[in-house]
Order: sequence, then C-alpha cells, then structure tokens
Amino acid sequence: MSKPILIVGGGPAGLAAAHAVASIGHRSVLVEKAEIFGGAPIQSGYAKLVPSGLWAKDAIGGMVRRVENNSQIDRKLNTVVKTFDGTPGNFVAELSDGTRVEAGSAILTTGFTHFDSVNKPEWGFGLFPDVVTTTQVEQMISSGKGVRCPSDNRKPKRVAILLCVGSRDRQIGREWCSKICCTVSANMAMEIREELPETHVYIYYMDIRTFGLYETDYYWKSQEEFKVKYIKARIAEVTSDGKQLIVKGEDTLVKRPITIPFDLVVHAIGMDPNVDNMTLSAVFGVDLHKQGFIARKDTYGVMGATSRDGVFVAGAAIGPETIDDSIAQANAAALNAIAAATGNNLQAAE
Amino acid sequence: MPIHEKSLIRPENITTHDELVIEGVDVSGHWSTFIESRVISDYNEAMEEEIAALPGGENIHRCWQCGSCTNSCTVHAIEPRFNPRYWIYLIRTGMESELLRDKDLIWKCVSCNKCTYACPRDVVPEGVMKATAHWLEMKGHVPESPSMTFDKIFTEQIVEHGKIEDTKVLMQFLKRTNQPLLQDWLKQIVWNIGMRTPVKWGLKSAWNFVFHPRTRGWKKAGAAIQDYIIEVEQHHKSALGVDKSTAANSNAQQHNLHAAE
Repeated sequence: MSKPILIVGGGPAGLAAAHAVASIGHRSVLVEKAEIFGGAPIQSGYAKLVPSGLWAKDAIGGMVRRVENNSQIDRKLNTVVKTFDGTPGNFVAELSDGTRVEAGSAILTTGFTHFDSVNKPEWGFGLFPDVVTTTQVEQMISSGKGVRCPSDNRKPKRVAILLCVGSRDRQIGREWCSKICCTVSANMAMEIREELPETHVYIYYMDIRTFGLYETDYYWKSQEEFKVKYIKARIAEVTSDGKQLIVKGEDTLVKRPITIPFDLVVHAIGMDPNVDNMTLSAVFGVDLHKQGFIARKDTYGVMGATSRDGVFVAGAAIGPETIDDSIAQANAAALNAIAAATGNNLQAAE
Repeated sequence: MPIHEKSLIRPENITTHDELVIEGVDVSGHWSTFIESRVISDYNEAMEEEIAALPGGENIHRCWQCGSCTNSCTVHAIEPRFNPRYWIYLIRTGMESELLRDKDLIWKCVSCNKCTYACPRDVVPEGVMKATAHWLEMKGHVPESPSMTFDKIFTEQIVEHGKIEDTKVLMQFLKRTNQPLLQDWLKQIVWNIGMRTPVKWGLKSAWNFVFHPRTRGWKKAGAAIQDYIIEVEQHHKSALGVDKSTAANSNAQQHNLHAAE
C-alpha cells in the first residue's frame, strides 16, 4: 500500500484535492493552519459566489462536510508543516503538533492573502471608517446585516467601488491582474442595488475584465438590469470633507478632473501571494514565481508540478484564481500526486 | 513646464489681475496668468433618470461610450462640438453644468437616425437627443422652441375640432412666435393659391375658417385624447420634478445643481 498524500491548505482547492484522492480509495492528510476548513470563502465570510449564486457557507460548506465525513482523509486543524524531506513515494513531514507524517507526495493548496489596503494609503483605507474592502462588504451581506456605512450604520446613498486596488499597480509591486475582482465587484454592485434600490453604485475602472462567460451575466446585467454606472477613471485620492468621503481623480473619458462625494468607498482588493510563501518555499523546497506565488514547473506537461518532484500545487497558490478553476486544478494535481506517490512515471511533454 | 492640453483650457478660465498680491508677492499683470480649476464638484444625480423618463431617452443607461453615434453623426461632420456620446456621458454622470454649456447645440439633431443604426447597444441616441432637448425646455433651460409652439397649436386644434384649419394654425403660430402676419413670402403664397383655387373651394375654405366645424362625433374622442395628453404630460412633469407654474418660465439659475450634496 502506498503512502498517503499530504495536502497543505484546507480551502476550496485543498478540499477538492482531498476528496479527489479519497474518491479512488487513496488516503490523504489534510493540514490546515486555521481552526476551520473552507479557506478564504469561509474564513473571510464571503456572501454569494460567482457564478453559481450560492452562498459561500452552503457551497464551500458542502465541500467541508464531504471531507469531514470521509474516513480516508486524516484532518488536522491549527496545524502547519514544519519540515518536509525525502523523495517521491517516501516523503516525511513533521507537523507543528509534533506528529510525523509519511507521505507519498504532497499538494500545496495554500492559497493567497487578501491585499491589505493600508498599502495604498492615498485611497483612504484605515483613515476613514467608511472606506472598506470588498471582503468587508461580503461580510456585511453574508451576515445579513446589509450594506451600511461603518461610521454611523446609515444606509449609503452613493457607493463607489474602486477596481484594481492592489492589482496591476507597479508602484506598489503588484503587477498582476487579480482576475476575479471585476466580476466580484459587478456582482456586489448588483447585490447592493438589490438591497438598496435607491442607492447609486459607481464602479471606477481602468479596464473591465469580466472574462469569459461572466461578460453577459455580470458586466452587462449589472448595467442593463441594475443600472450600475461604470466610470473609466483613475482615482488620485480618497479624502473627506468631514461629512462625506470625497473621491478625487481624472475622468479619462471626458478628460477632466473630478471630485465626487460618496457615502461608502469599496476597495476591490486583489490577491497577494500567501504571506507564508517564503516559509513554504523553504520548507517544501519549491521555487517561487518572481511575483511571489508558488511557481509551476511547466504549463503543458505535468499539471501542477513544482520545481520539486513529488510536490504539486493547485489553486490561488499559483496566482490569482477563481474557485471553480482552483477546484479543477486540485483534481488535476490529485491525479498527478497519486501517480507520483505510487511510483508511476510522470512524463514531461517534450 | 509647457501646457500639454491647451485645448482643454477655456478662455473664460484664463484670468489675469491688474493688481493682485498673494502672501506678500506681487502677481499683478499678464505674466502672472491664472488658469482656473476645471474640477467639477456639483452633480445632478437625478438627470439620467429624468431623461430616461422622457420619450426616446429610455435606453440611455445602456451606453458604453464607444462613440459610434458621434462618428456616424451628420451634424458632427459639420459641427464638431455636436457630440452625442459626450452628452450621454454627462447625463449619466450627472454633470449638468457641463451639459448646459451645450444647450444651444443639442436641439440641432436632424433626426437622420444614422446613430440609431450605428449604435451597438440599442441606446437610440437620436431619441436621447430628442429627450434631452425636451428636458432642456421642460426645465426652463432654453425657451420653448418654435417647433414645440407649432406642435401645441396643432394639438389644441385637433383636440378641440378633430381636424386642423391650416390658416388658423399658421396665424396662431405667427402670433405666438411674435412674427408679423403680413410677410412678403406669405402674401405671395396666399396670392398664388388664391388665384388658382376654384371659387367653390375658396368659399368652402372661407366657411371653414370662420366657423371651424368639429368632426362629427368628435366630442368624446377629443376628450379622451385630451385626458391622455394631460396624463402623459403630468407623468413627465412629475418625473422631472417640475410643476405647471415653474415649467416654462424658470431659468437655469433657479434649478438646483447641487443634488449630489
């Protein structure tokens, strides 16, 4: 009998990988550093997911329960991997709880870290209570409290969603597009308009990237059915006149400076590399991408392979990723991880 | 530092002061030219919904600013300041003061509808232009246009009589637009028609002019049409927040440009 697969990170990708491994009768050890499974959608309290429209607690919650009810999966919460040595088929990992795990291979599904808006101080986060992040608005919606201004709990009449906060920003070293924020923001704008029909919602963008099939259901729908306004403008700063937030910028379509009052400003925050990636890189001996995410070995050969044989990666650990694609990558990585653990040769596509 | 976008500087925003001292520094004279800020900070949030409530404006929210309307526009070809894309944008973003700068241009749309066919989003810019011109009149930003005056006279006669009396329409139009009744071109037309009209028709016309008979059974139909016109007008007025007393006579200064505050 070959050794179990070590899966690091219990978010959507890790949960999918664990289930995939178990589904063909193979054992796995699922290690999660937080006290609950579910990753960002659960820990950060996301509301309705794109594109299913299901609440995160139901959609991802189902994935958690499926894993929790599976005897093939050895689950470890509040745990991290301290050391990881060996070769494919014969790895040994030492966990923070002192246990020693023998593993045939490993899958890193360690995800991302939300961009911290404090790193973009000119946009007012941390200075003004009514400047919030998409994550906070997700929590307002998912908790049932509704979208309110944190300063005095009033219903906002005018909401601005600023796209590309911590994405596509060379000034602060975030050169990547976080891929999902446009669609998430369009979806959020519709949710706000649904809850507060009198509220005007503006989305400030440099480009809209509601890629693939999201175009119709989010970009167009938000404009045609929910009358969300998209303004092509770069925001210079978010300040306050003491009563309302003042958004200053340049409207690049009409070529003029704009100064607009808002009640609530939402930062559509991007995906940073997981803050633990330097540690993960050292522990697992995997190379990082120059942007700080975990590097893939190649694109077309072995799905999810890293620079170290027998260690695979899936989901937002590789770079900004959607939940559904994270799950697909996790399934692919699971297949390759089992092959590596059972001594089968993974052939490069050369 | 050179000024790159000189075209964006409006002449009225360039100011010099014959005598001005700022914090002890003398900045008098032409070598201390000031360019006033172009920042817009007043917004009329309601403007898009108001124009969408008028006939033709319904699809304005679908605009994605591709500019096909302006590029295909007949008027834009000879008058570059005629820019439907820009106006739609100003309306959607509530930049009322900017829109009002062009209030004497917007009505120049010739309704050729090239924009309607060019528009990939079914905005019907021609309709939006019509609605915007209508909006400007209803809000009192521009005086009632001659065509609107004509339409009103025409409609009044239809509602009252079930048909128009051409001579009366023309006479009333000239009167209400403060034009003399006896104009050379008009005298010529009347003379030419008069000389060629059979006597019997001429008498019939004269009789119609004097008595202006009503179409048979028109009373009920006319009343129903009148009710409908009042209903639609009332709907438009309430959508724009203008009641009868202020509709025609108010001017731009009286209107609240600070709706966003």
